[in-house]
Amino acid sequence: MKEVLVIGSGIAGLSCAIRCAENNVRVILVSPQPSERAQSVMAAGGINAVTMQCDECDSVSSHIEDTLRGGSWIAGKNAVTGLCSQAQDIIKYLEHIGTVFSIDSQGQPRRRAFGGQSHKRTYFCGSSTGKQIVSALVMEARRFEAAGLITRKLHTHFHSALIKDGMCYGVLLFDELKRTLTPFYASAVVMATGGQNALFGKTTGSILCDGYAAGRLFMQGALLKNLEFIQFHPTTLETDQKRMLITEAARGEGGRLFYEEGGRRVYFMEDKFGANGNLMTRDIVSREIYATNREVFLDVSFLGDRLIAERLQEVCDLCLKYRGIDICTQPIPVAPSVHFFMGGLAVHLNHETNIERLYAVGECASMYHGANRLGGNSLLAALYGGVVAADDLCQRTAPPHCPSFAQFIAHEERHLAAHLDSKSLFPVTYIRDMLADTMHDCMGIVRTEEGLTEGIDAVEYYQSIAEHLRYDSSVSMYANYSLTGILATAHASLSCALARNESRGAHYRDDAPQSKDGYAYATLVSYDDGAYRTWLDKEQAYES
Amino acid sequence: MRVRILRQESPTTEPYWESFDYDGPKDTSVAALLDNLNFHDDLVNDAGQKTQRVTWECSCLQGACGGCAMVINGMPALACDTFLQDLQGDEIVLQPLSKFPTIRDLVVDRASIQDNLKQSGIFIGSYQPAKNESFALQYDAAKCLKCGLCLEICPNYTNGINFFGAVFANDCYLVHARNRQKSRNIKKTYAQHFGNACSKSLSCMDVCPMHISTIASMAKLNR
Ligand SMILES: Cc1cc2nc3c(=O)[nH]c(=O)nc-3n(C[C@H](O)[C@H](O)[C@H](O)COP(=O)(O)OP(=O)(O)OC[C@H]3O[C@@H](n4cnc5c(N)ncnc54)[C@H](O)[C@@H]3O)c2cc1C
Repeated sequence: MKEVLVIGSGIAGLSCAIRCAENNVRVILVSPQPSERAQSVMAAGGINAVTMQCDECDSVSSHIEDTLRGGSWIAGKNAVTGLCSQAQDIIKYLEHIGTVFSIDSQGQPRRRAFGGQSHKRTYFCGSSTGKQIVSALVMEARRFEAAGLITRKLHTHFHSALIKDGMCYGVLLFDELKRTLTPFYASAVVMATGGQNALFGKTTGSILCDGYAAGRLFMQGALLKNLEFIQFHPTTLETDQKRMLITEAARGEGGRLFYEEGGRRVYFMEDKFGANGNLMTRDIVSREIYATNREVFLDVSFLGDRLIAERLQEVCDLCLKYRGIDICTQPIPVAPSVHFFMGGLAVHLNHETNIERLYAVGECASMYHGANRLGGNSLLAALYGGVVAADDLCQRTAPPHCPSFAQFIAHEERHLAAHLDSKSLFPVTYIRDMLADTMHDCMGIVRTEEGLTEGIDAVEYYQSIAEHLRYDSSVSMYANYSLTGILATAHASLSCALARNESRGAHYRDDAPQSKDGYAYATLVSYDDGAYRTWLDKEQAYES
Repeated sequence: MRVRILRQESPTTEPYWESFDYDGPKDTSVAALLDNLNFHDDLVNDAGQKTQRVTWECSCLQGACGGCAMVINGMPALACDTFLQDLQGDEIVLQPLSKFPTIRDLVVDRASIQDNLKQSGIFIGSYQPAKNESFALQYDAAKCLKCGLCLEICPNYTNGINFFGAVFANDCYLVHARNRQKSRNIKKTYAQHFGNACSKSLSCMDVCPMHISTIASMAKLNR
């Protein structure tokens, strides 16, 4: 019987594992922590789909058009068509596995309007859409776990892939309990490891999303794509450990952005864009906040206690709990933060990378979103991508004879042993923090050639020392060995941003503020023994 | 401020106490305190000896994933959701959840939660929702983080061999609500692993970070 490895158990990994199991293919589902801890549970707003219940004038083609426009016309049309066409079935499927969607008085799932979309087509589950979907998927996966078709491997991290001559035969996994590296062979490997938050330190998302797996695979020959496109959420609240998302609903309900000057409030968004200025797209609001170069606040206090309790209770709780701010009387200090990664592993329509039998799904893959993602499309993409990859790999015949990886494994074991042997107390987080500062400074909302070049120089320096330092072996081994992969992803991201000498979607270059026709393609980046090469995918080899 | 932590190097070694002096900010969470302690070249305990960094688990850092469940000053709670200024006294005592095997320091192995659900067949199968089931209750129950806090506080739960605790009861309710054909069987399983032995202290509800009304699930399943 075929066996597949799925690395990562968020929504994308679960979707893929369940679909494989439905096709009677055995799955090993790997993640350091259970699905309940994956970033997917944090998704709040909703998931997009045009269904029979949608407005009469809405259509799948309108969803496709909105997605392509939102992505500044560089997402693959066929890919997006597949995504949007299947969305209705995905909602139906989610209902049938017990996802508790918010319903109207007729018992029909409710929809809300989301930014960048011409119609109301975002389905949601109260304020915890991701969590409700994960709960339903976990229960469905449990059915297949009980039948022996899905086996979970927890406390385990991806280490590297077993690749020879452009074909993937399995992976090396690191078991944090036994502190050992073990090869697992499979007829296909599916990466579902989420976004690259760790590059930036504090973000709105989970610390489990670190970009290591993509970086390590990149160093092993997988291509990365569109890494320059990073979505910033304009209104987040800083806490000691992260940036908490203040939902767009706060502005939707009338919340006003301002800064203070000479004792008076300047409503800079309204001054520049008129009465609806606070509701401009995420990119524009983020850039405008950045341009003020001051502390910016979001005021909802004028809505009054009752309306706030009715419509913004969660924002109220969050601000009070984490910062002691009473939003009924005080404005919220907000700043933009990294929120979503449109870039990742380059994949074809079937979600296979340039390495045969190595697939990528969910936020770790670059697909569907082009230069910017529409809110509500990423949950859809995580679910759909999982299904597409599963259907493709389940049809494949068993892999040819597996070559020996003994030498590779021995080499990697020696490398790890050196880390394990260390008596140093030097924390790897020092370098991770320096990297985050560099990325914020050079790869933030507004970029320049000079800044990006400086960023690359800084990352090259971190790379040069990372290999020679000994790290504290008493912390998780993964925290230590993941550093090189994370740095490679960072270097590749800066290279993509430097190569794109224009502004498009979420990528804004101060020294090239307009879009240029010649750049209306995805960026690809490859790694060859320390050399990072970027080019535009003019032949549309990926996602088409 | 003194921080006393029950530490353990590995699943097979003995636990031991170690204390630290903490002079960082007070208006912060226990999770941030742990990060603060760990962020030193040389972490030293209150006797001035160099020691290893404290291992703990987290993901979302905003009370939505349940990763950082531990016992804080004797009460089961999420570290990212518990604030120093709300704790009494000048000492903070941190212990791993005691009803699961310790892996290292404050990290425990909670696999038994899912194993019990899996082995007792708590999944929907085919979707045949019972009529007029409350969506609000299902929404509530599906918010469960599987963090284990309800099991830690429960006077009836020991090691999860026979009695499976509130986390089990809530998932049973979800299956009951979604597959009426399975409902009778689920009620039996529920009674066997929860209903018959629950002494209804309802302390599970006091510590649930999602404020799940387990009593509402129980009412449905006891009917
Ligand atoms: C605050 C917030 C709100 C959001 N709201 C919405 C929304 O309303 N609508 C929407 O469409 N999208 C939303 N998003 C985006 C959406 O949540 C994500 O894009 C989506 O959940 C990604 O799912 P995933 O399965 O790809 O990754 P994740 O859920 O991040 O899962 C990644 C998995 O990989 C595992 N993993 C990581 N590294 C390794 C490794 N080295 N080895 C083994 N396993 C590993 C992790 O443990 C985890 O299990 C939001 C995101 C955030 C942060």
